[in-house]
Amino acid sequence: MSLPRTLFSPAFRARHLGRSFAVIVGIMVFIATFATAAETSLLALGYDWGKTMESRITVEIPAVGDESDMSQADRVQKAIAILRAMPEAGLVIPLSDSEVAGLLQPWFSEQDLLKTLPLPTLIDVIRKPGATLTADQIQDRLRSVVGDAHVDDHGAWLQDAWRLEHGLALVGGMMIVLTAITLFIAVTLLCRTVTASEHETIGLLHLLGARDRDIASHFQSQAERLAWRAAAAGFVIALAVTAALMYCTRHIVDFSTLTPLRWGLLAALVSLVPVGAIGIAAVTARLSVMRHLESLS
Amino acid sequence: MLLSFENVSLSYPPHHAVLDDIDFNLHDGGFYFLTGPSGAGKSSLLRLIYQAEKPTKGRIYLFGEPMTGGDREALAAIRRKIGIVFQDFRLIPHLTAWENVALPLRLTDASEAYIQKHARELLEWVGLGDRLDAAPSELSGGEQQRVAIARAVVARPRLLLADEPTGNVDDNTALKLFHLFDELNKLGTAVILATHQSHLVESFNKPALRLAGGRIRG
Repeated sequence: MSLPRTLFSPAFRARHLGRSFAVIVGIMVFIATFATAAETSLLALGYDWGKTMESRITVEIPAVGDESDMSQADRVQKAIAILRAMPEAGLVIPLSDSEVAGLLQPWFSEQDLLKTLPLPTLIDVIRKPGATLTADQIQDRLRSVVGDAHVDDHGAWLQDAWRLEHGLALVGGMMIVLTAITLFIAVTLLCRTVTASEHETIGLLHLLGARDRDIASHFQSQAERLAWRAAAAGFVIALAVTAALMYCTRHIVDFSTLTPLRWGLLAALVSLVPVGAIGIAAVTARLSVMRHLESLS
Repeated sequence: MLLSFENVSLSYPPHHAVLDDIDFNLHDGGFYFLTGPSGAGKSSLLRLIYQAEKPTKGRIYLFGEPMTGGDREALAAIRRKIGIVFQDFRLIPHLTAWENVALPLRLTDASEAYIQKHARELLEWVGLGDRLDAAPSELSGGEQQRVAIARAVVARPRLLLADEPTGNVDDNTALKLFHLFDELNKLGTAVILATHQSHLVESFNKPALRLAGGRIRG
């Protein structure tokens, strides 16, 4: 069956219905693509960062005064030796004084003050993959040499960070679902207007013996052609805006840490957005005509 | 048997009876006139045949099958065997005369080459071979009528229903159109032609169903 391509064109042209249809699809694809790209990339970064932090335990060795039996350097060396001897500790990395000062820098307006303060020494212990080494176990092992060492597995604030991340994911997901619902409603209303103005043509095709599914498919393909162009435009603009934002925020968020595999997954996920929008528009257009046809005897 | 009406009645709410206890049989390949004054129920009877209406009472058999109206696929298949000339032509205004005529063929599995050739032939048959690309708005009432006739017969229907097909033309043109239907009938298509122009019917030696007040009279 090959009905003329222009069969429903006047209805789509009338009162700019076709243009409105395209603009709605384009805007919805833009919003959904932007939300998906932003959400998935931030989630991926957050996940990677969280995993890194989960495998890390930080040992803080407080600074000691000159009256102490053992110098700070000796305490640190002994602690490092104990930590490196632990089979489940993969890497033991002491932070330099400047790195520790760097961590405190945002809280001190006068930089010279940092040089006079007795800063603790920090040692990062990175667990081997699958290791069950805990902060308490490390604390026990260090007790005999540096009893005042404080060991932190970042558990308390990591949990808050996870909660925040999951909350953001939920909000992002809801935005995408709401966009899809809005698209469905807008396309339904537009298609009802189009089918109402093409009532005569649809009725005639029905009386000439056209099958419902053939009329619906023809209408759907016309809506699909419009949706493709609009979705492509919305998608490209959203990607451009996302790329520009990533570039502008590169000093705050380091996207270079994402692996090529992660980029590939993100690209696949984001490219589902226009496909999904076109699918929603096409199915909605089809359902609108089928509903109209059901009202015809 | 082409068509049977068994005690068929049609009324619109609340109590407006349009057709009352209609009972007749028509044979395959026949040519029948359906006559009667305006408002006698001719158009309603035709609408019952192509199932745009459902009878309030009684049963209708078309092509030997009872018309139940349940299966929409089956209904579409039946309608593809019927050609309809509507009183108001119902041409699609943004399609050309040729595209309008080709429409029923596009609902079949006909090849594009066949559609191109056959639609053109039909327009030539009704004398509009030089108006293929004209929009309906560029055609006169009589020309639109002929396009509607060409569209109704292009897919070689088993049954042709024509509702006042000569309502907008003079008697001379009307007779020419009747002859077109007669030619088609000789090719095997059954014809039911509704008209109120009884003087034209009398010049043709064909059986006629006379409707008056919603009932068959003689």
